[in-house]
Amino acid sequence: MHPVLQHLMDTNFADLSGSRVDGRIAVTDDLVNLGLHELVAALTKASPAAKADAPANAPENTPTPYASDPAPKSATPDPKALLRKLQVEKLQYRTESGRTILEIACAVEK
Amino acid sequence: MAITDSSTLNALFTQPAAALTGTDLQIHLPLTRVLLNEILAARPANTPIRELLIDPNDRNRFRVHLTAEAPIVGTVSRQIRLAPGMPVSFPDQPWLEFRIEEGLGFFDRSLISVLQGQIEKRLPRGIELTSKNLRIHVPALLAYLGYQQLAPLIESLEIKSEASRLLVNLHLKAE
Repeated sequence: MHPVLQHLMDTNFADLSGSRVDGRIAVTDDLVNLGLHELVAALTKASPAAKADAPANAPENTPTPYASDPAPKSATPDPKALLRKLQVEKLQYRTESGRTILEIACAVEK
Repeated sequence: MAITDSSTLNALFTQPAAALTGTDLQIHLPLTRVLLNEILAARPANTPIRELLIDPNDRNRFRVHLTAEAPIVGTVSRQIRLAPGMPVSFPDQPWLEFRIEEGLGFFDRSLISVLQGQIEKRLPRGIELTSKNLRIHVPALLAYLGYQQLAPLIESLEIKSEASRLLVNLHLKAE
């Protein structure tokens, strides 16, 4: 993980207090559809956790490659940590021809 | 070039202006001294700068504590007071400029003027240092960092200083 992102997580995003985002985010349908396909692919792919859930009466010589390894540390931040500090004043979703639009006004609490 | 494992994010970063057409976003970031120095500590290693710390002050001024390898004179350390200049606005004003108000003596200024060519070669593309100003050509620096496709989204960029924080005001727009 990038050291700056690691610092932000370690300090519970305190250094971003007072930050503010205000305006409109518009995303094309093409990008939304690409994201949907990627989400479906990720959800239908077998997770390592499911594979690790081996039957209790498995033979001793059955390889259990995941069960004995510690869970790898996530390389991506947990969005909940930042979302908990957000003050959302406006969050409105709508669509136009060919676009998805999010009107947003939010701030990181001081 | 793939930036992440996500095809969606790669599509977004490859053509952000097209993917985000209609976006109009104002972002206000007050960056603390601690965070700024974390960012500076994560700078690329292939520059002549050995130590770089920033100390934002009120009245729209900030100090930079700098230790660098300079041509001919070797290692130099200076505390330089800078004042932010005009906001960046594209395409007319692509320069993020900081006026050097204090910290460079007559010898320093003369040396910078004489060695201008060598200094330019050692700095990342897009960054210029003269005896009076530190200037950053934002599109050129973004290109150097591999993010040139983000430049058209920047409607304006302004940096101000207050006690212990730099205030970054960024207006992103995709039409």
